[in-house]
Amino acid sequence: MVGTIKKDSVVVAVGTKKGGFLFHSADRRKWSVAGPFLAGAGVYHMGLDPRDGRTVYAAAPHFAEPWGPAVYRGRIGSEPKPTSSSPKFKEGSDLAVSRVWHIEPGSSNEPDTIYAGVEPAALFRSEDRGDTWEDFGALNYHPTRKGWQPGGGGLCLHSILVDPRKPKHLVIGISAVGAFESRDAGRSWTMENRGVRAGFLPNPYPEWGQCVHKLAWDASGDGSLFQQNHTGTYHRGPDGGAWTEITKGLPSDFGFPIAAHPDRKGTAFVTPLIGAMNRVFHKGQMAVWKTGNAGKTWRKATKGLPGPNAYLGVLREGMSTDAEDPLGLYVGTNTGQLFASRDEGESWKMIADFLPPIMSVTGGMAR
Amino acid sequence: MSRASAGEIARIGVLVRIPPALRSYTAGEDEVVLDASDLAGMLKALDSSFPGIRDRVVDEAGRRRPYVNLFLNEDLVMTPLPSVALKPGDVVHILPSVAGG
Repeated sequence: MVGTIKKDSVVVAVGTKKGGFLFHSADRRKWSVAGPFLAGAGVYHMGLDPRDGRTVYAAAPHFAEPWGPAVYRGRIGSEPKPTSSSPKFKEGSDLAVSRVWHIEPGSSNEPDTIYAGVEPAALFRSEDRGDTWEDFGALNYHPTRKGWQPGGGGLCLHSILVDPRKPKHLVIGISAVGAFESRDAGRSWTMENRGVRAGFLPNPYPEWGQCVHKLAWDASGDGSLFQQNHTGTYHRGPDGGAWTEITKGLPSDFGFPIAAHPDRKGTAFVTPLIGAMNRVFHKGQMAVWKTGNAGKTWRKATKGLPGPNAYLGVLREGMSTDAEDPLGLYVGTNTGQLFASRDEGESWKMIADFLPPIMSVTGGMAR
Repeated sequence: MSRASAGEIARIGVLVRIPPALRSYTAGEDEVVLDASDLAGMLKALDSSFPGIRDRVVDEAGRRRPYVNLFLNEDLVMTPLPSVALKPGDVVHILPSVAGG
């Protein structure tokens, strides 16, 4: 079903194991759905471009497996089509893109620029909305690359942050390699993993090899960052340097997504799971935890969320916000439920059930 | 583009059967006739007529994508593509494997 999505509606793009959906609402109380789009395909990421509020991008295999990775583009409410080409490594590298994990719109003054994070880990940029691509040689053929090892989800570049104030400032995250930062539009990169544990390695604080699960800008707007890692939750100040572990107060050091308030400094949300060997919520109770002070303290919210006896999880792209006031927050589960909060995560309501396992959730606004 | 007769194929070159998922590249055509002397060359020729279609069969390192099969006439191709010679009248099928279980 393809539906009409009204201007000024909040839109939550949901990528699932079997297609993508657009949930939309004018008041965030009553929701409608358009889709499925790309039916049958594993949609690793899908989102509405915030720069125009009308273009949808999606990362999925070309017409479902096995025809290789593709980036899709379309007008909101219509079936997205593959762009003219997909990200590719340079000839002779002996590397080949197997999957697109994440698509990130560029800054507001570069309306045709998008970035793609792929598996095996690499970053690509398009200046024509996905029809042609250039790769970031300094990152994609980094001297440490031969030692990069995949995390449980694969050797994927899943987090791409473009500084809204300084578009040349980029931060990316790779499982299980770590975070990299560039301040010159990707011509050079520094590894940004100091203070982040890698408890699964002989040296628990290596220069790289950390299993970053998701990165988010802190809304402080100064380049500060939040990180959810395989081993811990972290915050980093604007000028680089070591990350500060902020796991204390959370029920575990393991989780996948982290979402930050777009306007309020130091405010972020996480969904801790029991651990790597049992990726479900603690005591069968789904919970979203919030900090308002960059992780010094955390508060748990369960109102409207399932439990006890709810043994489910949330994947790395499974949580997002809108930009409304009060902030709306959206979480999709790997058992196919979509939950929404319109009071900054204090209380929740299930707005969809029986979806395929949810792989990505991205909030936006139709214009 | 009209469908080629067996005689035309034998005279002109190799017939490539296009699976439904890739017909967006061929404007809906389900078969294409090409001049090529091996399978790697066939894919290049196909891509020059229908840009992007080669990327769906092999990756940028030239490796066949998992679960994509090429049949030469009725035989599954198991060897590297450049080593598979073609002659006029051959039929190449591009097919996804069942990948069931």
